[in-house]
Order: sequence, then C-alpha cells, then structure tokens
Amino acid sequence: MTIHLSIVLWLPLAAGVLALLVRGSLARWISVLGALATLAYAIVIVADYDVGGGLQHVTDEMWIGALGIHYKLAVSGLSVVLILTTAVVFLGAALWSALRGEPGSRPGLYAVLMGLAQSGVLGAFMAQDIVLFVAFFDLMLVPYYFLTIVWGGPRRGPAVLKLFVYTLVGSLLMLVGAVATGVLAKAGDGGATSFAISDLQQSLVSSGSQKWIFLTFAIAFLVKMPAFPFHGWMPDGYTQMPLAPLATFTALLSKVAAYGFLVIALPLYPQGAIEFQMLMLTVALASILYGSAMAFTATNTRLVLGYSSVAQLGFIIVGIFALNERGGDGALLQSVNHALVAAPLMLVVAMLAARAGGSEDLRDMGGIATRAPAFAAVFLVLTYALLAMPGSTNFIGEYLILLGVFTSKIVVAFVAAVGVAGAAVYGLRLYIRAMHNRTGPAVGAREMTAREALVIVPLMLVVLALSLYPQFGLQRTEHAVKTSLVAVQDAAHDRGETLAAIGKEER
Amino acid sequence: MSIQTAAWLVLACPLAGMLLVALGGRRWRGTSAGWLGTAAIAAAFAFAVVTLVKLQDLPADERHVASSLWDLANVAGVTIKLGIYVDPLSVFMALVVTGVSALIHLYSVGYMASDRGYVRFFAYLNLFVFSMLLLVLAGNLVLLIVGWAFVGAASYMLISFWYRRATATAAGIKAFVINVVGDIGLVLGSLFLIREMGVLDYGSLFAGVQDAFPKNDATLVAALCLILVGAFAKSAQVPLHTWLPDAMEGPTPVSALIHAATMVTAGVYLIGRMHPLFEWAPTAADIAAIVGALTLLIAGTIGLVVTDLKRIIAYSTMSQIGYMIMGVSAAAYVGGFFHLMTHAFFKALLFMAAGSLIAAMAGEQSIDRMRGFRKAMPFTFGCFIVGGLALAAFPLMSGFFSKDALLFEIGQRGGWYWGLYAAGYLGAILTVVYTWRMIYRAFWGEAVEQAEELEHGHLWHAPHPTNPATGEVEDTEVGFPGPEHHVAEQTWQMKLAMGALAVLSVLGGLLFLPFETLEPLKSFLDPTFEDSLVQHPANDTLEVLGIVATSVIAVAGMAFAYRIWALGEGRAGAWQRRLPALHRLFAAKWWFDELIGILVVRPAAWFGRWARDTFERLFVDGALVGGASGLVRAGSAAVRALQTGLLRSYAALLVLGLTIVLLYFLIRSA
Repeated sequence: MTIHLSIVLWLPLAAGVLALLVRGSLARWISVLGALATLAYAIVIVADYDVGGGLQHVTDEMWIGALGIHYKLAVSGLSVVLILTTAVVFLGAALWSALRGEPGSRPGLYAVLMGLAQSGVLGAFMAQDIVLFVAFFDLMLVPYYFLTIVWGGPRRGPAVLKLFVYTLVGSLLMLVGAVATGVLAKAGDGGATSFAISDLQQSLVSSGSQKWIFLTFAIAFLVKMPAFPFHGWMPDGYTQMPLAPLATFTALLSKVAAYGFLVIALPLYPQGAIEFQMLMLTVALASILYGSAMAFTATNTRLVLGYSSVAQLGFIIVGIFALNERGGDGALLQSVNHALVAAPLMLVVAMLAARAGGSEDLRDMGGIATRAPAFAAVFLVLTYALLAMPGSTNFIGEYLILLGVFTSKIVVAFVAAVGVAGAAVYGLRLYIRAMHNRTGPAVGAREMTAREALVIVPLMLVVLALSLYPQFGLQRTEHAVKTSLVAVQDAAHDRGETLAAIGKEER
Repeated sequence: MSIQTAAWLVLACPLAGMLLVALGGRRWRGTSAGWLGTAAIAAAFAFAVVTLVKLQDLPADERHVASSLWDLANVAGVTIKLGIYVDPLSVFMALVVTGVSALIHLYSVGYMASDRGYVRFFAYLNLFVFSMLLLVLAGNLVLLIVGWAFVGAASYMLISFWYRRATATAAGIKAFVINVVGDIGLVLGSLFLIREMGVLDYGSLFAGVQDAFPKNDATLVAALCLILVGAFAKSAQVPLHTWLPDAMEGPTPVSALIHAATMVTAGVYLIGRMHPLFEWAPTAADIAAIVGALTLLIAGTIGLVVTDLKRIIAYSTMSQIGYMIMGVSAAAYVGGFFHLMTHAFFKALLFMAAGSLIAAMAGEQSIDRMRGFRKAMPFTFGCFIVGGLALAAFPLMSGFFSKDALLFEIGQRGGWYWGLYAAGYLGAILTVVYTWRMIYRAFWGEAVEQAEELEHGHLWHAPHPTNPATGEVEDTEVGFPGPEHHVAEQTWQMKLAMGALAVLSVLGGLLFLPFETLEPLKSFLDPTFEDSLVQHPANDTLEVLGIVATSVIAVAGMAFAYRIWALGEGRAGAWQRRLPALHRLFAAKWWFDELIGILVVRPAAWFGRWARDTFERLFVDGALVGGASGLVRAGSAAVRALQTGLLRSYAALLVLGLTIVLLYFLIRSA
C-alpha cells in the first residue's frame, strides 16, 4: 500500500483541531482516537518497512523554492522505531488524560496543543531537510510552553521563561548552523542551494566549517536532552509542567536530540564529530555521574526521574560518540527503551502523589506498597527497566553502548560503568522510599485503579515484550546506523587515523 | 521428550509457577499458593531428573547440548541468543537447586502460613528459582548475566520482604547494589572477551580461548579478574561480602534457600563453568583461590564471636563458600562441587532449624538469650546436631567427605598450593569451634523462659513484637512478625523438609567416597572437566593424612568447645580477656563495613550533596546561566502581565529571531 507520511504526520494536529470544536470531555476522546489512528498508521509503517534500509515512503515537495528548502519527509531505519514509540507514548498520555478527565479546564485547547506536540515530534523524526528539521525541532516545543503556562505548577512563569531562553539559544545556533551548511555547500559545488540531507551528504562543507557547525548542532541537542552542564532549565521545567505532557516531553523530546546526532551531526559534519569526540564523551560522562549523584539526592520524584534522564541520556551520547556501529545501535535502541520506560514512570509519579496526600516529595511517601501489590509490581518492573537490569531491553541497549565505547575508548566504558551502579542506587531508592518503609504521614495506600491500570499496564507490557525481543528494534536500525557512520569512517580515513582508533569492528 | 525440551521445561516450571501465583494474587486461599509454588519446583526437579537421564544416555564425549529459541540481539557482529547449555555441570547444579528449593518451599508452606505476604512470598520464591536455573542453564555469558541479575533482584525482594522494617529495606538495597557492582564486573569482563574473540557462547569461548590468547595473557587475566568481581559479589567473598550478614533480615527460608544453599554458590559455578578460561590464565585463578582462602579464614574468625544466631550461620556460609571458591579456582573441581552440594544440604538444614528456634524465641535471634532448648525442642535439636556434625566435618558425615575431597585435590597440586591446603585445615578448626559454640550455647545449660514455656506446651509470646536489630516496635500490618507467627516445630511440612535434609546431610557423602572405590560424582562430572589441563597425581599417603587430620580436628574441636561453652560460664570471657585485640578485630568484623563506608559510600553521598547544595545552586542556577536567571528575575513581573498574550509574544520573538538570522545568511550568500 502507498503510505503518505503527511497524513500520519498531521493527523494528531488535525484530531486536536477537531477536538477544539467540540465541548467537554468529548474533546479528550477525540484526542485519544487521533492518537490511536496515528498508532495504527505507525504500525503499518513499521510493518511495511523494508529492513534493507534506505529512505522509504519519501515525500519531496519544494517548500520555499527561492531558498531551496524542501518539504521532504521519509522514514529511515533511524526513525522507524522512534516513530512507533512516539505514537505509543502519545496514545498513553492521551488515554491517561481522557480517563482521569484531565485537565479539568479547556480540554479542547489541551487536545490541540498535545496534537501539535505530537505532530512536531513526528515531523522532526521524518524531516529529511535540515531547515525543516529545525522548524519541527522548534515547533514541538511551542505547545509545551503553553501547556505549562495554562496548566502548570505555581512557579510556571520563570520555568517557562528559562526553558524558552535555553532552547531559543540552542535553536538559533542550530538554525545558523543549518543555513550556513546549505549556503557553504552550495558555494562548494556551485549548484542550486538545497537543504535536503541527501543533497548535503553529496557535498560536505569544508573540514573547518564542519567543526564549528557541528558545535552549533551539538549545543542545541545537548540543551534539549538535557546534558550536563546544559540542564539548567530542567529542574524548574520538570517540576512545573503538567504530568501527562511531561511524560511525553521527557520520553521523546530528548530522543529527537539523540536522533539528530545520528541523522545530521554525524553524516554531515564528520570532521566535527571526530574532532570533538572526546569532548562529547566527557560531557556524556559528566552527565552520567552528575545526573546519578543528583538523582540519588533529590527528593522530588519528578526530579529523581529528571536527573536520571540526564544520566541515561549520557549513556546514549556515549553510544553515539563511540563512533562505531555497536555504540550507535545501542544508543538508538536505548533511545526507544528510555522513552518507553520514562513515560510510564512519570505517570507513576501522579499515582504516587494521589496516594501521598498530593505531595510529589519522597519525604512524604513510604509504605505505599501496602494493599497495592499490583501497583507495586508494575512500578518495580519499570524501576528495574530504568536501572537497565539485565533481562530488560534497556540492558541490551546499555550493553551495546558499553561494547561500542569499549572498543573505541576503553576508559570511557569503565567510567560509564560507575553510572550503572549509580542507576541501581537511585532507582531502588526511589522505589523503596516511595513504596516501602514506614507509612508516610498523609499516605493512603490503595491499589491501582482500573483507569490507571489501563494506561500503565499496556506500557509496561510493551517494555516487557521488547525485553524479550530487542532484535525487533535492532534489525530495523542496523543498516541505517551503518550508513550514518560511513561519513565518519571516511573522514577518519582522510585524517590518516586508522579505523582502530575510532573503533575496532568485528573481526 | 528430547533433552532440550526437558531442559527448557526445567526453566518453564518455576516461571509458570511465579506467574500463576502472582496473577492469582488474593484469589489463592489458605496455603494453596504455597502448594502451587512447591509443586512448580517439584516439577522442575522432575524435569531436571529427566534431563539427567537423557544426558547420561548420550556418549560421554557428546554430553554438552546447546539449544536456543531466538536471537535477543544480532547486530554489528554481536549475537546474543536466548539459549541454554546442558552438560553434566549445569544439570548437576539444576538438580541441587531444584531439589533443595523444593524442600525449602515445602518448609515455607508451614513457616510462612501466618504471614500476610504469603502469596507474594511464593511468587518471589518461584521467581528466584527461575532466575537461578536461568543462571546455571544459560548458554552464553549475556544470558548468564541476565540470570545473575535476576537472582540479585529476587534476592533483594526477599531480603526486603518485610518492607516496613527500615533495617530490611536498607539490607535489601545494600545487597542489590553490591550485586550490581558484581554485574558490572561481569559485563566489563564479557566486553573484553567479545572484543577479543567476537563470541559469547560457551562452546565457542572454550574452543577458541587457546587460539585467541597466549597462555596467561594480560588481557585475559584482566577479563577474568573482572568476571571474578561478579563471582565475589554474588558469593560473598571479601571484600564484597558485607551484604550477606545483613541479608539475614529476610525470612528464614530465604536465608536457607538463597543465602546458603543456592544463590551464593553462583560464583563457584561461574568459575567452574569458565574453567577452560581460568586454566588458560592461571594468575586469575590463583587470585581467586587466595581470595577464597582469605574469606574462609576471615569469615571463620568472625563466626567465633558473633552472637546473632542467623549471622553465625551466615558467616559460616561465607567461610564454606570460601572453601569452594578456593577449590574450583585451584582446579579441585569435583571436590568443590561436591562440597557445594553437601553444604546445600546441611546449611539449609541448619537455617531451617534456626528458623524453628528463632520462632520459639518469638523473633529473638541473639544466642546470648538462648539457653537449654534441648528438652523443649528435641526435633530441632536433632537437626542442629546433624547439621552441626556435617558442617564440622565429623567423620562419616557428608561434610567430612566433601571437605576432605576438596582439600585433598588442592594438596595434590603441591607447590604453593600447600599454603591453601594449610589455610583449609586452619579454617576447619575455626569451623568446628564456631559450630559447637552455637549449638552448646543454644541448647545446653539452664532452660530460659521461652524454652520452659515450650516444654509445657505453650508458645512464648513477646508482649510487643520488636525488630531484634533495633528494638523498634514492629509495624505488623504487612506481615511478620504478626502476633501469631509461632511455628516452632509445629507443622509437619517443616518437619518433613528438615528430616529429608537431615538424611541427605548424613548420606550425601556416599556420592564420592575416598580412594576411588566409588566415585559416581567424579565420573558424572568428568565430561565437563575432562579438558582440564591440571593433573592430579595419586597420593595415598596424603589421602590418609587428610582423613586423619579432618577427624582429629572435628573431635578435638568439639571437645574444646564443650569445655568452654557447655561446662560452666565465664570460660569464654576469660579467653576474650586474654586476647583483647584479636577479639576486638573479630567482633568488629575486620572493619570491612567501615572501610567501604569511608572509601565508597561517604564520598558518593558527599558528591551528591555537593552537587545538590553547591554546584546546582551556584553554578547551574547562578554563574553559568546568570543571564537566564537574571532574565527570569527581571522578567517574571512582565511574564505575569503577559500571560494572556503570551502566545503572540513568544511566537513573535521566535519568528523574529529566526528570520533575522536566516536573512543574514541568505543575503550574504546571494
């Protein structure tokens, strides 16, 4: 069958607009239907995906002809599983809101903003033109500003402003980089200006330009992840954003950044990637160690998860900048894994707060496992997955990441391994202090309700299913990761560095 | 049924049991969940026997069968299969694990009957057995790591089973984190192997190691030392042992099953499993043997002075695992695994008997408070005697033959292995003394109040159930120690399990008699270890010497302990005063906890606090993003005013900024 990516891309927004037109809780259910339809379409895309690789289901229209900006969409091995993940996570969030009747006010506006967010994320995963990518990269943030402003916590003003300033700086840098790439590439080969990634790959910009443009993209991505020390917006942003949007935010927006490294930064600026490999790995290690340390001292459950994301994203960066296939495959798998685990855990925060007298602070929790064995079991499984316990798909991701960096920069692997132990500490600490020990003062322990279970349990089952068969993701990403590393390997060759310095591949 | 099917069913039974018990939840009435869990393990045992029979049907040189279901990962030259490896060693382990586990499940049916977490307990217990079987049957290193971690996780859940106790959750996280450190060691070690050899399944690893590395190559030694970190963490070898004594917070059947009979032997299995690699890197094997020897001595000395009944047995376990680690690392494979098996019998028995005794004491675990239980609990007393005789290697008991075989095989190697041999006998002296100290103190002397009550047929009740570790009044809502948790010698399930283990503790030695007259275990394990590069020359003098020495130590040590602890008070105190420094060292457990606290825990906690209180506040919020923070302060008033019109403002600002930059570049390029 013919698959039109534009349909699936704009479907969530269309559902949101439709929801805007109706009254009351119907809006929420239209949102759910939209997410469901998107998921169905995403499943078709995955089923139809040819494991052989390459860009598939390409849509290529000239968008702004004078500037050579294309409206070019495609599915590649890098994005195909992430698109499915996006659909799953947003469906979970929509269902969560619908079942709980959240938010109480203006459900239509909420639906359209969430729809826009999903379209933005899907667009970023599908865009095959760097200006289009930048546009979606910024577009997907806009709804989160408004979601926070309308439904956020009491200190939402400063939080949004901080988020906005940080990401604006990143976005502008990235835009500069994107435009410069197109212009400089044109100057190089004298043809028409084009921002399509496939065109840019044909004529890379000069080695010196690659380095500074790489940095512009890298900073934008690191801010969005966030990585240490670019995470200044995260504590405020995470504590003030409403939970269901936050679940999608923490699950997916950081993954767009990780994806951006693989789809843009490595193929288009390989000299930069090699030049700054150690810098990026250092940032990644700092994120792992710092994020872990913060996660086991924070008492706000959202922040425990927020800082754990900093640490987990650190692992993903490590995998990407191992600059070999194993690391890349691991990083991409881990992006999917982390999204699938982080989203339900954010919703668990809401469930904990509902049982701890509305508080999201660990000091007010404790003993919630009593009379809630099913909830305790689900939470424990998710916690184990978060800390990448062997047997979970997260472990396979982490294993490949460590293997990748082990072959290229062995010291990094050893330092990163400290973060594995850190994850065990903060993961279990979160679980124990929320669920075990003496009952907190305002805690009213009760079992997971059917409505909560309807969202959380399927998400957990997805994690379990993927844990039994991580190859589901890996077999689709393998070819694309190899392709996206070709430029890096060529560049390393040109620099006179042997491949062994970049990473000894299988013998 | 093919051998593969049988082996997969060994794994499937406990998994199915766990799922059934867990999904049934409160629908399981009475003890039905316990019986279902027990049946699942018994079925696994039956399939393990079938596997054994099928395996013995094969010719000796074909007794290694690999089978896999699907690829977990197959990417960039890395293949990780969901596969198992069936050979005499893994079948032996599966038999020990399922056999002992089935009895411990049976014991728990009675022991946990009054616990409110009954169903949860059996779900965890079945999950544990599944994990352990996955560990021993796994066909490659990654799947072994999976089983390894699952075992750690199940162990954590069971240690923290009574999760309202802060001491239990603290012990749980300690065990889990130390085990994760071990996992990391295993992972990094396996990364070395896959980098150099490109494979992770046992068959290829064993076949390829001699081509991939020169003998005793530094890389291989490094890889194996990392793998040893995993083995030490799981098997409670110094310095990664500190979690084991604390793990006694779990219910007593857990201590019997996990922290004595099965999980802690995983390190022994790992070294035995990887013996073709360890023999090719003797330095790593020697390091392991020395650590084992140190552990058996250190743990033995601590066992002399600890007063908590379960912790005495825990340190004893650590010490006995030290023997096994030393044995398999020094190529005493048959002796090592023989001791693993007999130890599983008598140590599980001792823990069960201890559970019975502790129940009579209403949860009190200190042997300072226990006296004269001989008459009150004859059955428990008998079990303690049998278990104690076996542990102390009394002639003709199972522990006698196994310890003797283990040390004899080490002695056969000569050279510096004599040092290990001597350490083994020194440890044997300690073993005898701490074993009888425990038994004499608990069962001899004038009966305490609890024992007298029991002699009159009543169970003693504590006025308020308290946590013996802290004296804190228990929160009994979740389960133990509920007011009715009194199971001392009361249920037939417990008695049956203890009786069966007592018989095995006595007769287990028959599997491997000295002087090669009858060695079914040796010939059974032979296909696994026939590739061993180490020769064991026959030495009848040494064999006789060993038997005599073991017997003398067992009898003399028992007499010595009798003089000190059974006859008259105060003699132990006199010894303490005579050797104050030594007593202090042992009583402080050689300060390992404190050392780890200073070296690891406190720096990590300090870093976390520093990051939160200083760095995050000053650097991230202040200096580095001063602009943003300042902007936030200056703009917050404006933001409040703007809230309604924010859409336009932000969008306009964004679009404006983007346009300016875009235009700048396009104008330049034109």
